[in-house]
Amino acid sequence: MAIVIPPFLIEILLTFGIFLIITVSLNFEVGYAGIPQFGRVLTVLVGAIVAAAIPGRLLVLMAGITVEFRGEEIVPYGAEYANHLVNFRLVDQINTQILGVNPGLSIVMFIVTLILAAIFGAIIGYLTSYPALRLREAYLGITLLAFGDALQLIALNYDPLVGATQGVFVPNFFLWVGPTQTSAKIIAILIVAALIYVLVYFWVNSPFGRSLKAMRDSEQAAEVYGKNVPRLRGYTLMIGGALAAIGGALWVIYTGSMDARTFNRLTWTFWPWAFMMLGGTGSHKGMLVGVFFFALFRYLIFAYKGVLEPFIPISIQWLEYILIGLIIVLVSMFRPQGLLPEKPRTLLPKERVEELAKPSA
Amino acid sequence: MLEVILTALVISAGIALAAAGITIIYMSTETFNFAHASFTTIGFFVVYNMLLVFGGSPYYYFVFAAIFTGLVGVAVYLTVNRWLIKRGADMVTLMMSTLGVDLILFGLINQWADIIRDTIPGSSPRNFLLRTIDYPIAEVAGTTIYARVPISIAIVILIIIGLHTFLTKTKFGIAMRTTIENPTLARIMGVNTEMVYLTAWFLGGALAGLGGAVLAMIETGSPQVGVRYIVPLFAGSIVGGLYSVFGSLLGGFLIGLSQQIGIYVLSLWVGTFINAYKPVIPLVIMVVALLFFPEGLGALAEKYLARRGVKK
Repeated sequence: MAIVIPPFLIEILLTFGIFLIITVSLNFEVGYAGIPQFGRVLTVLVGAIVAAAIPGRLLVLMAGITVEFRGEEIVPYGAEYANHLVNFRLVDQINTQILGVNPGLSIVMFIVTLILAAIFGAIIGYLTSYPALRLREAYLGITLLAFGDALQLIALNYDPLVGATQGVFVPNFFLWVGPTQTSAKIIAILIVAALIYVLVYFWVNSPFGRSLKAMRDSEQAAEVYGKNVPRLRGYTLMIGGALAAIGGALWVIYTGSMDARTFNRLTWTFWPWAFMMLGGTGSHKGMLVGVFFFALFRYLIFAYKGVLEPFIPISIQWLEYILIGLIIVLVSMFRPQGLLPEKPRTLLPKERVEELAKPSA
Repeated sequence: MLEVILTALVISAGIALAAAGITIIYMSTETFNFAHASFTTIGFFVVYNMLLVFGGSPYYYFVFAAIFTGLVGVAVYLTVNRWLIKRGADMVTLMMSTLGVDLILFGLINQWADIIRDTIPGSSPRNFLLRTIDYPIAEVAGTTIYARVPISIAIVILIIIGLHTFLTKTKFGIAMRTTIENPTLARIMGVNTEMVYLTAWFLGGALAGLGGAVLAMIETGSPQVGVRYIVPLFAGSIVGGLYSVFGSLLGGFLIGLSQQIGIYVLSLWVGTFINAYKPVIPLVIMVVALLFFPEGLGALAEKYLARRGVKK
């Protein structure tokens, strides 16, 4: 692939691609099913952990790579894999000896990683349906938030998994592309994001999507019409979790390293909430608008940092928080429906619905 | 062990005060206030900043921390919360709006920290310790007891007495309880409910500031401190049942004590690696409380008293 994306577009497209996936998954749970998902970071982190922990170990086992560890020659697929003294040499070896010379295997492993991330994300998402069936509104939100924080703490402290605070390196599935590999990664992220966007579009406009909306608007009414509300909630959390996990996996594959400290609730839960609210909660097209607006805006304030700084008394680093906070506050106060509000969808043309609704004389 | 208990008592007092603030705001306006994280940090920074400028003892500035944070609470109510309540926003929107407020305040606090760093030589607003300048008052079995222990306990007791008197003996306090019970009826009876909400935000903010000031005497201060403490604060408030200020004071103590002492006992048992998981304890207690005792400690205590035939 010889497509080269200019550096300024890489920044914008990276933020856009990754956060589109996360925000679409968030909107699926919040906008369509009405679950206050304040723990989006939980399954994003699951995806990142899967991408950082599994493919490298699989490749080590497949190729039978051995390293010297504490005086012994071993195949490092257990806790040794995440040891920071072993990991950087090991991943380098995997990249140059296996992935770099084998494009087919690289692509297969990339896809396998995403599928594994989705499976684990779905499992963890499904587990969170235990509280989601028992709690409502803000209580559920706080509980989900607590789960996200707890997993981050575990990832930060349990080093056999992904090296705790030292982090681990993630195998580079795009080394074979050569010097344009960053562009190739961005293109891959955008392709996955587009696939997810289209897939969710079909889901939410299917009978399943309509049942979700019915459940969001009135659980009782949905139950009266024979919808199994607990099962619907479980499926929603599974799908949302799987999609968010793919986003997390793509992010660490792009950066090439996994550091649990970067998976805080601010970036991976509250930012997507801000984009979702800006675009219009429950509106699928709104997600494109919200995320794109933000990606562009973030690039611009960092690009014109030098120009802006003399005019404002606040350093750009903190201004970003203030502006995102302002977006959330202003949208919730003055335009709760977002920039592109959700439109009611009818299965029949509007005239026909009105005609049917008339009392027959 | 004694030192662990003393530290735990101070931290618990801080958590309990701030958690009571969350409860007051939630009871009256149905708003789960995420901005409490920043409110608590503001308490830290008021004490630190005034100490740097005026010197003396950090305890002089506790009152200012409470008043300043209370005023920030009032400002949040007047600019954001009142508007949303008037429009009949739902619980999640109210919660989300306070999250936005929290991000704004977080940015401003960081800027404040930068200003302190740049204008006051020798200050370290991203890593300051006030416990090193605390006064030793006694020594028991080789452990020095510092002034922060009796002072923080005394503050909690004063707040309990003060709030109890305010809510049961004064006209406005009774109006406040009426509004919490039934806002429409209270309005019919001529209660100025907006004034009640405003007072609730002032009290909530002031308690958070006071809690932050107490925590400042034991914790390492930085603009991040509220972000770290918000989950224990929510946990304290939720374990307390969210509908009782005194329940949440109790809940805050339960969370703080189990976090500090629980992790110490666990580390003796299973090894010191467990210390890193300290913040998981409040999470676990909170989730268990929500799933199994959703009415909280306050209701449990009431049930117990009712069974014993004791009138409330």
